Order: sequence, then C-alpha cells, then structure tokens
Amino acid sequence: MKHASQKIAREYFLAALPLFFLQVVFGLLASVKYVWGYDPLLSLMPFNIARTIHLNLLVFWLLLALMGATYYMVADELDTDIYSVRLARVQLWLLLVSGVAAIVGYIFHWSFGMPFLEQPTAIKVVIVAAALIFLYNIAMTMFTNHHILTRTTATLMGGMVMLSVMFLFGIPFMPNLSTQYYFWWWVIHLWVEGAWELIAASLVAWSLIKLTGVSRKTVEGWVFAEVALVLLTGIIGTGHHYYWIGTPHYWLVWGAVFSAAEPIPIVMMLVDAVRDLLKARTLPIVNTLGLAWLGAGAFVHFMGAGVWGFGQTLPQINRWTHGTQITASHGHFAFWGAYGMLAIALMYAILPEISGRKPNGKQGLSFAAFMSLNFSMIFMVMALLIAGIVQVYLQRVMGLDFLEVQNHLRVWFEVRLVAGGIFFLGTALLLWDLFRLATPLAAAERVAEPEAVPAA
Amino acid sequence: MHATRTTLVVATLLSAIVFLGMTVDTLRRMPARTHSNQLSERVIEGKWLWQRYDCNDCHTILGIGGYYAPDVTKSYSIRGEAWLRQFLKEPAKMYPAGRQMPNFHFTDAQIDSLVAYLQWVSEIDTNNWPPPPQGMARQEPEGHRVFLAQHCNTCHAIEGSGGTLAPDLTHIGSRQTKDWILDQINNPRGHKADSIMPSFAQLPGEEKQELAEYLASLK
Repeated sequence: MKHASQKIAREYFLAALPLFFLQVVFGLLASVKYVWGYDPLLSLMPFNIARTIHLNLLVFWLLLALMGATYYMVADELDTDIYSVRLARVQLWLLLVSGVAAIVGYIFHWSFGMPFLEQPTAIKVVIVAAALIFLYNIAMTMFTNHHILTRTTATLMGGMVMLSVMFLFGIPFMPNLSTQYYFWWWVIHLWVEGAWELIAASLVAWSLIKLTGVSRKTVEGWVFAEVALVLLTGIIGTGHHYYWIGTPHYWLVWGAVFSAAEPIPIVMMLVDAVRDLLKARTLPIVNTLGLAWLGAGAFVHFMGAGVWGFGQTLPQINRWTHGTQITASHGHFAFWGAYGMLAIALMYAILPEISGRKPNGKQGLSFAAFMSLNFSMIFMVMALLIAGIVQVYLQRVMGLDFLEVQNHLRVWFEVRLVAGGIFFLGTALLLWDLFRLATPLAAAERVAEPEAVPAA
Repeated sequence: MHATRTTLVVATLLSAIVFLGMTVDTLRRMPARTHSNQLSERVIEGKWLWQRYDCNDCHTILGIGGYYAPDVTKSYSIRGEAWLRQFLKEPAKMYPAGRQMPNFHFTDAQIDSLVAYLQWVSEIDTNNWPPPPQGMARQEPEGHRVFLAQHCNTCHAIEGSGGTLAPDLTHIGSRQTKDWILDQINNPRGHKADSIMPSFAQLPGEEKQELAEYLASLK
C-alpha cells in the first residue's frame, strides 16, 4: 500500500462480503422451493421475493467489491492519494442504505418488477447519485495532478462511465413491454458483456502486473485489443436478446453473427492470463491465493460466458432453449467466473497490503474455501444444465405441460440443492478467511510475524 | 501504441453507430409488430400490476424472467380468458397440487387489467416463439388439449398421469355418459353437494363439448 487513503477499499470489501453471504442464503432458499412440492413459506416469502433479493445482492456486493478495488487500484497505478476519502465513504453508505431499503421493500411488494432492476425509482435515483459521486471522485483522483493515465486506468474509467450511463435506460416505465425489454437489455447485456468486461479486463491486468511480477509492457500490450474486441462484438451482440421479444427478424442474423464472435476476446483474456502465470513461474510468488483465484477465474469465465453462452447463442438452438434452466446454468457459471471470482481475487490481492498480514498465512483454510466454492459451483451448473436439456426435450419438443415437466426435473434440483449447500459452507469459510486477512495486525502480533511488516 | 488506441476508438464508434441505426429502425417497426395502437389504459394498468407484484421473478414473459413458473407469453391463447380469470381469483382452487402461486387477492378490476395485458402480450409478433411442440401432444384429440389447458390433470389422472386429489378418469366413459360429464363440468355440486371441483361453466360451449366427448370416449 502506497497511500493511507487506499484503506477505503477495506471498508468496501467488509461491506460487500456479508452481502455475498446473504446472496447465497437467499439462493439456497430459492433452490429449496424447487424441491418442495408445496411451499410452506408461500405467503411469507414466495419464490419471486427470494429470487429478487438473490439477484439484487449479487449486483450490490459485486459493485461494492469492484468499486473498492477501483479506488485502491487507481491510487496505486497513479501513485497518488484518493481525491476524497470522505466522498468515498458517503458513496458507500448511500449504496448500502439504498440496497438494504430496497431489499426490505421487496418483502412489502415495493417493487419496480423488472428482473435485476426491481429497485423502485426513488432508490434508483439514489444509486445514480452514488454513481455520480464515484465518477467525480475517481476523475478528480486521476486528473487533479495531471497524471498520465495508464492503459489499465483509462479502460477502467471507460467501463465505469459506460456502467453509469447504461443504468439510466433501466429507470423509466414504458407502456410497451417489447420496448421496455429492448432497453432493459441495454442495462443487463451492455453491463455484463460491455462495461463490466472493461472493468474486469483492467482490474485483471493490474492484478497480473502486481501479483506475477510480469512486466507492464507484456500485460498491457493486449488490453486495448481485448477491449476493442469486447465492444465490437458485444454492442451489436446485444442482438442475441432480440430474437423473440417483438423485434424485427433481421436481429436473428445480426445477433447470431456478432454474439458468436463474443467468445474471441474472452479466449484472448484466458490465453493472456495463462501466459503471464507461466512466465511468473520463474519469479518469486508472493500471493498464491490471489493468483489461484485470478487464474481459475479466467478459466471459469471462458467456460461459463464463452462456452455456455456460445452453446445457445445461435437462433436455431436458442429458439428451443430460451427461458429454460439452461439459461439459469449459464447465468450462474458466467457470473461466478467473470465477476464473483475476480472480486474474490482482488480481495486476496489487496487486503493483505492494507492489514499488513502475510497473504499466504492460513493456506489450509483458504484452499478449502477455494475448492468447495468452485467444485460445488461446477456441480450446480451441471445439474441445471441437465435439468434444462430434459426440460427442452419434454416441454418444448414433446409439448408436456410446464409443471408436469418440473416434477420430472426434481432429482436434478435436488443435486443442485446439495451443491448449493456445499457452496454455502464454502462461502462461510471464505468469509472467515477474508475477515481474518482484513484484520490489521496488532503490535504484539507484528513481533511474532516480523516479516509481515511492509517494507515501506 | 497509438495504432491500437485508434483501432479501439474506431471499432467502438463503428459498432455503436451501427447499433444505434438499427435501434432507430427497430423502434420504427415495433409499433406494428406489437400492435401498440391497442395499448389501452387497461392494458397499461395490467402491465403495471404485473411489475408491482413482481410476477416476472417467478414467471418468464417473452422467455425472460424467473424459471420457477410457466411462461405467460401465450397464456391467453392457451388457457383462455375464463380459466385465467378464475385462476387469478383463486390460484389454489384451479391448481391445488404441488407448486403454487400465492393468492394476491386481486379485485375484479385488477383481474380485468391483467387479462387485457396478457391478451395484448399474446398477440406480439415473436418470430414464432415459442416453437410449436413436435411430439405426441399434437396428435391427441381436441378434448385432451382442453383437458391439459384447463389443468384438469392437476387433480384427475388418466392412465397414471395426473393428480390423485380427484377420481381417476382412465375409464370414466364406461361409468358415465357424455351428458352426465357435461353436467359435471357445468355444475359439479349438482352431482355431489360438497364437491371441491370448481365449475367450468364459463368455458366456451364448443370446448366443453369437446372435453365431454373426449372423456366419454375413455372406456
């Protein structure tokens, strides 16, 4: 850590982690409902509310983690203090309070009712205010002393601006459902396959430089090319969501061609990460866990977003699979690989620098968390994939009724529930490990662990 | 260094311009494809209710949303208005077994709006999504389609497929006549005073005939 103001990242992470834990709790609740015949919580907490909270917590904890990491990374890259720690703290509290208010509101049917964007308009306005504070604070940090932006910071800024602008299209109520969904995808698709990819590409590049010791020139060489391809394929690739929602037929062609190319930049990111990790073998590794999450994340990102996404992006296939458990499988795999694992990697990379602890202190615990989370996620997405394939066959091809088919899928929902249970335990281990890593070393412990004291 | 930066800027601008151009064209064509001239106040009220009650986090619509409950894009044309009204009023009565929808205690006016909305949605040109099934269900007699569309199989079973809450109908045709079955569909309590079966008197006459004919044929 170079500057005291960077410590704000720790507060963002400590806020994000309990939200991640709650996200998993509500996910478990929703998956129990798939196994139960009759839902005893039907009037108290029906499936839609559990799912809404699951989705909202996902967005909130990831945003908080990525924003915290952004503050840390920009100050680190430009070797400067953050413009205003107080603004950063105001922003954090605005987001936390609005998030909690939204979640409590859902229980009382206070909802805008568009998936992921269920926050009532008043809360969306507060979120926009928090985003503006964030952009202002980051821009002032970047430009106050006329720093020359690195490629990674420039990409990050681009992603954050895109993130904020796109969110605006999710705010208005539109009488026409097709138009509403047309612009809903400007938020959902252009976030996860646009803005968030830029943010991820930049944070991954920064962590690779930091954790592997491979030269900036090597790592940054590809960043702009990757980003150019992400935007070139991703923007018009939005068309793969415009096949069946009342939009013209030509989207079947445009959406197919451009979205089929979307895995190319993801493959480049994977190759990039593997190349840097191989180079780093000869260098002294200081943060094994950060690298493990980063490398595994690049692979799961490729599988979940690239392979699973490509698998149903062509309209000939999507016509049958659209709106089934196959989409649920893809959603879990891609979000975990592209963003969940990245957020965790960033916490493993940054927290030891703030707390002054050794990054590799309790390897047994850290690896138990790593293994249980990743393997249970793979079991979960496999169970959902098989459920989805059976569903497509029975429901779409054979024409059986939806609920009758759901009964046939129960065994796969049971497998998913067990996997979810293991994922829950993994989350508990991860939180324990990261909270330990976030606790600053007391003076007495510093004597016991002298090598952990930062050189500066 | 400058070359890749220029490529990045040009690639982004180009795709953004093409995308925006297509958006303009799409928005120009969508009113006809979604017959937006029929977006009455009642339909819009129905859309708002659909959002306010967060229906989309259990159900998919146009294939988007929660995967826990059936897609409602074609509910209006598959189930028909009468079934939808009765279901929205008392979901548990129309579907008493297994996974259930909460009773939101909608008023009659709200049900009018929701049904109008679902009717409007069912007429959107979705490029033929969802695809018509290719399996055996298509070759079944028309009455069987009504049997499934009205969810009769929630309570009644035929040849081992269906619920156990109500009598098995596998051989109903050898026990009862078509007229008796028609009476039962119209007024279940006429035959048994404490019957829990809801009345389907509101179904179109033709569908009731087909259903009774089909059931009477099950010997």
